[in-house]
Amino acid sequence: MRTTRKSALIAGAAFAVLFAGACGGGSGAGDASGDSASGGEEAKTIKLVAAEYSKDNTKAFWDAFAKTYKDKTGYTLEVQVVSWDTIDQQSSTMIQNNQAPDILNLNAYASYAKDGLLHDSDAVLPDNVKSDILETFVKYGTYQDKFYGFPDLSSARALFYNADLFKQAGIAAPPKTWAELEDSAKKVAALPGGNAGYALPLGPEESQGEFSMWLFNNGGAWKDGDSWVINSAKNVETLTFLKKLTDAKLTQNNPARTNRADAFDLFKSGKAGMVVGFSPLAGDLDKDKKVNYVVAPFPSNDGSESKTFGVTDYLMAFKKPGNEKAVKAFYELYYQPDQINTFIEKEGFLPVTKTGVEKFQSNAKLKVYLDTLPNAQLTPTDDPAWDKVKLAVQQNLGGAMTGDPKAVLDGLQKTAEASK
Amino acid sequence: MSRTTTRTPRHTSSGYAVGRVRPLVALAWLAPALALIFGVVLFPAVMLFQASRGEYSITGLRKGDAGWANYTKVLEHPDLGTVLTNTVIWVVSVVALTIVISLGLAQFLVKNFPGRRFVRWAIIVPWAASLVITAQLFVLLYDFNYGLINHALKSVGLIETSIDFLGNDSWTMASMVLVGVFVSLPFTIFVFIAGINAIPDDVHEAAVVDGASPWQRWRQVTLPLLRPALLVATVLNVIYVFNSFPIVYTLNDRNPGYLHDTTITFMYKLAFKSQEKDVGMSAAAGVINVLLILLVVAVYLRIVNWREETR
Repeated sequence: MRTTRKSALIAGAAFAVLFAGACGGGSGAGDASGDSASGGEEAKTIKLVAAEYSKDNTKAFWDAFAKTYKDKTGYTLEVQVVSWDTIDQQSSTMIQNNQAPDILNLNAYASYAKDGLLHDSDAVLPDNVKSDILETFVKYGTYQDKFYGFPDLSSARALFYNADLFKQAGIAAPPKTWAELEDSAKKVAALPGGNAGYALPLGPEESQGEFSMWLFNNGGAWKDGDSWVINSAKNVETLTFLKKLTDAKLTQNNPARTNRADAFDLFKSGKAGMVVGFSPLAGDLDKDKKVNYVVAPFPSNDGSESKTFGVTDYLMAFKKPGNEKAVKAFYELYYQPDQINTFIEKEGFLPVTKTGVEKFQSNAKLKVYLDTLPNAQLTPTDDPAWDKVKLAVQQNLGGAMTGDPKAVLDGLQKTAEASK
Repeated sequence: MSRTTTRTPRHTSSGYAVGRVRPLVALAWLAPALALIFGVVLFPAVMLFQASRGEYSITGLRKGDAGWANYTKVLEHPDLGTVLTNTVIWVVSVVALTIVISLGLAQFLVKNFPGRRFVRWAIIVPWAASLVITAQLFVLLYDFNYGLINHALKSVGLIETSIDFLGNDSWTMASMVLVGVFVSLPFTIFVFIAGINAIPDDVHEAAVVDGASPWQRWRQVTLPLLRPALLVATVLNVIYVFNSFPIVYTLNDRNPGYLHDTTITFMYKLAFKSQEKDVGMSAAAGVINVLLILLVVAVYLRIVNWREETR
């Protein structure tokens, strides 16, 4: 008797705890907003959600960083490293549940700024840091005259070519114009062994990146001032040229359905003549020591000076009650040359600060990118609409390889104009 | 022995009859299960429904109530027809092929032969491996440039040039179905092995005595007696395959748009990958999904019962 009553009690209690726990999970959102209403109290612990650039380095760096941060400032930094595959999903879930981190590392920021979720530089970025960041990146990090998108690192693209295949095909120098590129691709594709002349990834992973590189080097753009120019004559010409390469079978099989990672794999296995790459690809190639590659500026259509496509990721700061000081201390430490440049060097990317560019000048391998970095063109990351247009491009651009390039770009233009 | 111990009445002193317990005690026993149902089934379902009625920004921020707008947007989505057709093709072909192949293999595996234990173990392996890993493995096998399947087909001389199993629209679904069948086989085979073993030997002997041919014995003795196993295997497989995310998502990740998506991957893409990138719309699609699968299972069970009654 006693035992049954006792177990009933225990089970009942367990039920109550579980049930309350379940409800607590839901009302977490309410709790958090309750905090922000009261406000005032200073946060001693902040949370960073960081993207995983590499298995070996990212977590190690942020753990060491958190320790230094604690020692120097007394604040605690909780670090959560998230893979790129799931970071969109996780950040969206956190914001839905009103549990945004204090600092989030992502490849977009403008939509968050538009939703009024972020601190701008006046609140959390030390002035000397702001003046150290390269102007290009300040420009693309600015939404409605306020700087929200603080870059953590950058990359710039360049043409990688397989020197052995080029030699075998009798090509003396890397192409300077698109006509030369087409010719080189033709010669490489004609070699025995079924090599791709040019590895063209227009699959959904990152087709906006590949297309950016081409369209910038044809004098095109995504946006001109405040208006979208996705379907400009220049861009139609660019996409038509890519279709021509595809139709002539100078690319790998089915470019519309090839993701960037697959194109890189093809180049790494020595079966592609050319590919648009960036410094982490060079790192992999150096590790494998299988392909004799050379990095060159990407050719322009008419032979004019090459333009590069730059990419930055961001460390954005979420507005949470009382977290300004701790967040500011975070940026103060991160942008110390020995911190940020160590991180960038380990991950194999490019600097975002003037001091960083100076520091990396001595590295001969990076020179080809660094020279172009201050003039790099970015996608319009400062426009919240781009966050949607980017996805539309990823899902639709490849369709031009079997369809009409103009119609595809017209469709994207419409999407862009509609998503104000 | 054991029978007598379980039959010993426990509560005779307090006047409760055998098999009866106080309501409070009953609740205590049910509590963990109830807690699970609330925490794991009902609570998320309520949250999903709430999300489906909200208007969300691309960042995931809830901006207000959307009423039924998310549902209308999903139902009016231009690709919904394609997605539903794909789902039907995917579920029907994977489940049908799985059942047919499993019936054959189970029949084979109940026979005694040397090494049977190893074959049975080998069949469990695809079940034990994570679906993402299996799917990724097949991506490599199917690869256009260095995939083993293309290599094998070419060396046998069946094809001249590689087949783009995952990128060519006429092959993609078939390639996915093959993997779907592969991972559904272990569970189904073991359900059938259990079902076949439960059939008493006498009925087979009786059939033999009556002069039934092997095919007649299988068709008119084994198969009808396997009905319960068939029912379980079909319903569970329909639910698993309908809800299967990793295979379709991984094998189809190079293809733009929704050309080969099922309702599950459609829902995911709506939330995170497509230009809509709308959590509310995705939640609405999720609610529609749940209703759809409930409807399918209900209809299936109805048909099966109806047949049983009219026999």
